[in-house]
Amino acid sequence: MTLDLPSNREEAWRWADLGGIAAAAALTPITRPQAQFLDLPGAKLLFVDGVLDDAASDLHRVRVGDLAPGAHALGKRATRGWSLHLDAQAVAHPVQVVHVATGGDNHVAAEIVLDTDTSAQVVETFVGAGWSNRNTRIRLGKAARLMRAVRMTQGAGFVTLRDEAELGEGASLIGTMLAAGDQGVRIDAAITLAGEGGYAEYGGALLTRDRLKQECAVRVRHAEPNGQSHQLWRAVAADQSQASLAAAVEVARHAQKTDGEQSLRGLLLHRTATVNLKPELEIFADDVKCAHGATVGELDARALFYMESRGIPAPRAKALLTRAFVADALDRIGDETVRDAFAADADAWLESAL
Amino acid sequence: MLKIENLHAEIDGKEILKGLSLEVNAGEIHAIMGPNGAGKSTLGYVLGGRPGYEVTEGSITFNGEDLLEKEPHERAAAGVFLGFQYPVEIPGVSNVQFLRESLNAQRTSRGEKPLSGAEFLKLARAQADALGLQQDMLKRPVNVGFSGGEKKRNEMVQMGIIDPAFAILDETDSGLDIDALRIVGDGINRIMRQPTKAVLLITHYQRLLDYVQPDRVHVLADGRITRSGGPELAHELERQGYAEVAA
Repeated sequence: MTLDLPSNREEAWRWADLGGIAAAAALTPITRPQAQFLDLPGAKLLFVDGVLDDAASDLHRVRVGDLAPGAHALGKRATRGWSLHLDAQAVAHPVQVVHVATGGDNHVAAEIVLDTDTSAQVVETFVGAGWSNRNTRIRLGKAARLMRAVRMTQGAGFVTLRDEAELGEGASLIGTMLAAGDQGVRIDAAITLAGEGGYAEYGGALLTRDRLKQECAVRVRHAEPNGQSHQLWRAVAADQSQASLAAAVEVARHAQKTDGEQSLRGLLLHRTATVNLKPELEIFADDVKCAHGATVGELDARALFYMESRGIPAPRAKALLTRAFVADALDRIGDETVRDAFAADADAWLESAL
Repeated sequence: MLKIENLHAEIDGKEILKGLSLEVNAGEIHAIMGPNGAGKSTLGYVLGGRPGYEVTEGSITFNGEDLLEKEPHERAAAGVFLGFQYPVEIPGVSNVQFLRESLNAQRTSRGEKPLSGAEFLKLARAQADALGLQQDMLKRPVNVGFSGGEKKRNEMVQMGIIDPAFAILDETDSGLDIDALRIVGDGINRIMRQPTKAVLLITHYQRLLDYVQPDRVHVLADGRITRSGGPELAHELERQGYAEVAA
């Protein structure tokens, strides 16, 4: 298939694994893997190769149907999917979406619109093999709150996410991504704090191995004053893999008192692996606080020996240290069941990679 | 229990230990004293199996088994405990988790049943109390934000929980004030002064030996033991200095 995606010469696509996406789209069919929902109340949606499995789903307030495609190179491919609209004061039980891929490419759109003072929680899980492409549009009204957690645990292939979010006055978005499978990943996000006092946390952990490439390319734009944003990303790269974290904060001229934080950290499990970091600040206002930190390192050899000398075998010691490294990024998930499930996925990945 | 014969060891090609021999029997506490740079800490690390410390000649046996053949975690499971001069900070891993993992990894490799969370906590609290380490420090990340003295107490709490057969304590007295020195000294006596156990105390000063009476004192200078004697040797060193005694 022709991908019709920008080339690596474009800065925002510099580290994108276009070959990996094409290869994933050409993956031959596999047997449908088992998919489990977490034991939580609320809507459950099972998409198999981009098509809703009615029998296995329970929609509650979620609607499924045609959605307007986006303008983005990834987002424009998705024309059908699910939507959640909440009116005043509503609280939705968690919406769980499980995406199963059995080869080839699949595209699903999603629209989450939360009106004034509403709140919702969305948990998405990717399993299987193939190219799974998602376009998610989020609109949060005044003081609306969305907690979204996405885990990518496909056994092969590629997951691409395009997120577009617009936050109204005092709205908050907490997005946590975990890549802990054996697939390539691109997380492509544009988040705009369009109302005063918006709050956005958008981050996560990318765990890569073999020759996989995973990346995030996230841009948070503060359009109005008194907003806060935190982009906390952790990347762990083993073997010959490559993880790239590109996070940008843009502060418009009158978005005074903005507090924008970026923390990008990479951990190389082997010296043959690569971590690229690109923190970017574009500040046009003069009264803002924008902190950013970017570091890449290896596991602390002294800490490893200390743990081994207490009886902990080296692979377990490495797993504990690596888990501690990614913990910051996953601790932001509010729901304990969800947080534990994500931590277990990260653990399982670490135990098998080390 | 521990038998070191003609041990030669180097770091980055530089020979630090140059033919060290030492035997420690069960029920004994030995002190190794010596000037800075004599190779005291190197001896501790070689016994613990730290990467980068290469043994080029000689042997170390522990209860008749070749210690050098074993990985660091296997040495721990065999009963060897290394108390660090500079305990390492491990952000993101709690003391409780670290210690429970350590103890249970050792128990599992010895074919014993791992302790449950509740059993472990009871043990950990008792040891923390005995060494005057505040309970909430058990929940904190390993050694992060601990003062020098707290780190050393934490080493002793770990030793109490792990209950090893043989402890190598590398400058456990450094960074301790007088009160803490007494508490740590009492801890060493309580945990390790037993007929089936033994201790190698590596120290620069005699002051810890006021609290932990050694059976034997050795002077380590330039990579080998130059003199051995009873507890009186430590006092002699304190009075006359290493240059005089070690020569």
